[in-house]
Amino acid sequence: MITAGIDLGSKTIKVVVMKDGKIIGKAIGLSGFDQREAAEGIFDQALKMAKVSRADIQSIMATGTGRKEVLAKGPISATGEVTEVTADAKGAVYFHPKARTVIDVGAEEGRGIKCDATGRVVDFATNEKCAAGAGTFTEAMARALEVKLEEFGKLSQQSTKTIPMNAQCTVFAESEVVTLVHANTPKADIARSVHDAIANRITSMLRRVGIEEEVVLIGGVAKNPGFVDALKRNLNMNITPLEEMDIAGATGAAIIAGEK
Amino acid sequence: MFEQMQNWYDKRHAYAKEWKKNHPGGKVLGCFCTYVPEELVYAAGVLPVRLLGSHEPQSVTEPHIFGMYCPFCRDVLAQGLQKRYDYLDGITISQSCLHIRQAYTSWQMHVPTGFSYYLPMPNCVQSPHALSYLKGEFLAFKNALEKWTGNEITDEKLRQATELVNTNRRLMRQVYDLRKQDNPPMTGLEAMYMVVSSQMTDKNDHSKLLEKILKELPGRKMDRQTGARLMIIGSEDDDTAFIKMVESVGATLVVDDHCTGTRQFWNETELKGDVLTSIAKRYIDRPACPSKDWPERRRLPHILKLAKDFNAKGAIIIQQKFCDPHELDIPAIIKDLKKNGIPSLFLEFDVTVPIGPFRTRVEAFLEMIGQDDLF
Repeated sequence: MITAGIDLGSKTIKVVVMKDGKIIGKAIGLSGFDQREAAEGIFDQALKMAKVSRADIQSIMATGTGRKEVLAKGPISATGEVTEVTADAKGAVYFHPKARTVIDVGAEEGRGIKCDATGRVVDFATNEKCAAGAGTFTEAMARALEVKLEEFGKLSQQSTKTIPMNAQCTVFAESEVVTLVHANTPKADIARSVHDAIANRITSMLRRVGIEEEVVLIGGVAKNPGFVDALKRNLNMNITPLEEMDIAGATGAAIIAGEK
Repeated sequence: MFEQMQNWYDKRHAYAKEWKKNHPGGKVLGCFCTYVPEELVYAAGVLPVRLLGSHEPQSVTEPHIFGMYCPFCRDVLAQGLQKRYDYLDGITISQSCLHIRQAYTSWQMHVPTGFSYYLPMPNCVQSPHALSYLKGEFLAFKNALEKWTGNEITDEKLRQATELVNTNRRLMRQVYDLRKQDNPPMTGLEAMYMVVSSQMTDKNDHSKLLEKILKELPGRKMDRQTGARLMIIGSEDDDTAFIKMVESVGATLVVDDHCTGTRQFWNETELKGDVLTSIAKRYIDRPACPSKDWPERRRLPHILKLAKDFNAKGAIIIQQKFCDPHELDIPAIIKDLKKNGIPSLFLEFDVTVPIGPFRTRVEAFLEMIGQDDLF
């Protein structure tokens, strides 16, 4: 059976094509302003890699914040939809069967999910109306420090100093960063402080649902080694960033498409 | 079936103005809290209306209320400052929380009416002295109402008013009872319109409509699936947009613990001996607001009983942002429900809610509690 999962995130769209439980195609691209057009293109890329046509796909499941708006208007017609929370848990356990706690940090949303061995959600929490625990926060802080996003995490790893920062609001946190800059604080120390602040937000959210080992990390921010270190420090336990961090949600959706 | 109630709710000001026209000399009293004894107000020939917000962003309350007071109390005060309740003859509050009290005192200062009464409802209703204290306060309130209206409030009038209010409470409970069915003949949104409209209309009108509804309701067929049976618990809530959204993604709200719901009407006044004492006892014993539920937390067994009686499979716990009394109770409620096999989803209200993100969380919650059906 060939199925597909489309994860329409706020910043990127991820598509996974699966055949009998194995990934045969995947593609990632920016959502942009016209999500539908972007989704079309990324979907076709994934099909090309899988060497299948649209007609070969028996079931398509959509997930992500844009799932409703995009799919209501076609032309990719999904068989159904599932929330990011359910898709994430399913996908994370597929890639890492021992995962019982899944942390997903995307561009605008952070999630903590507790799940069982089959990838079913036991409990979850998401960040409130605030980006301080999400990827956009890192981007804003990197910009304030004039550091490339890709280098921001590595830079923070050079520091061993802990500077407390109260990241409740991205804009106010940026002014905290500016204060530190004025006080001639080394960039690396500020970078570490920023990562600690995000990790703190994510951790407190996670404590609401309870943490069970093993803990895996997915979502774009998992690519940031500074964040991974900060999270490990904060939780005081090992965390595995999944290699397929981008496509866990889309994979979960593709698996659920096959189960429906 | 419930359209008229929605209509009353949507056009609350038009209703009150019309009421005054039909009751020459009749006064309308704005109430900031459901602990105001409606029995006394009706006995004085006055129409009590609950003051609620409009769920529209505003900028007029900033000089009067601190930003971290709850959005509800700010929204309520905004209605006064924007002169939407310009037909009120008086205002009153029974002590519950400080946030709504500040809305009241600020209203009193900036939107003066001919009558303003602060009723010191005790917070420690569990104290053995609470009843005699409240009876004394009710007596003072009764005297103030008499002086204001010129109408004497006799025991007979109090008895009649009690019967009027009790009838309304009883009828609403009969409607709620029908929601225990496997497929409730009504939505949670309709229940909300019913209870909230009862707080802003004449009980005579409201009960008359309830009697009519109760004749048709048992045989009513819904053109929707019941889906997951949910309970909703929390602070003041008349966010109909939110309720509508929840019931559009595969769920039905079957019962609530809100002061715009069961907390307001659940128990009746039992007239035994002294009338004022009987009425006071009703307000001491009613399902408590969290500002009054200590040292023993009596809300927990009450909420659990509601959940079981109405067969709720999950609970949405929703509170006004910055509502300290509810924040005090929520961890205990979540824990207690969980221990009893009822998962819950916690959300925070503002004047308007972000429907998109809230929808995702509600859907994820429904997927979580309905996983056996899903896969």
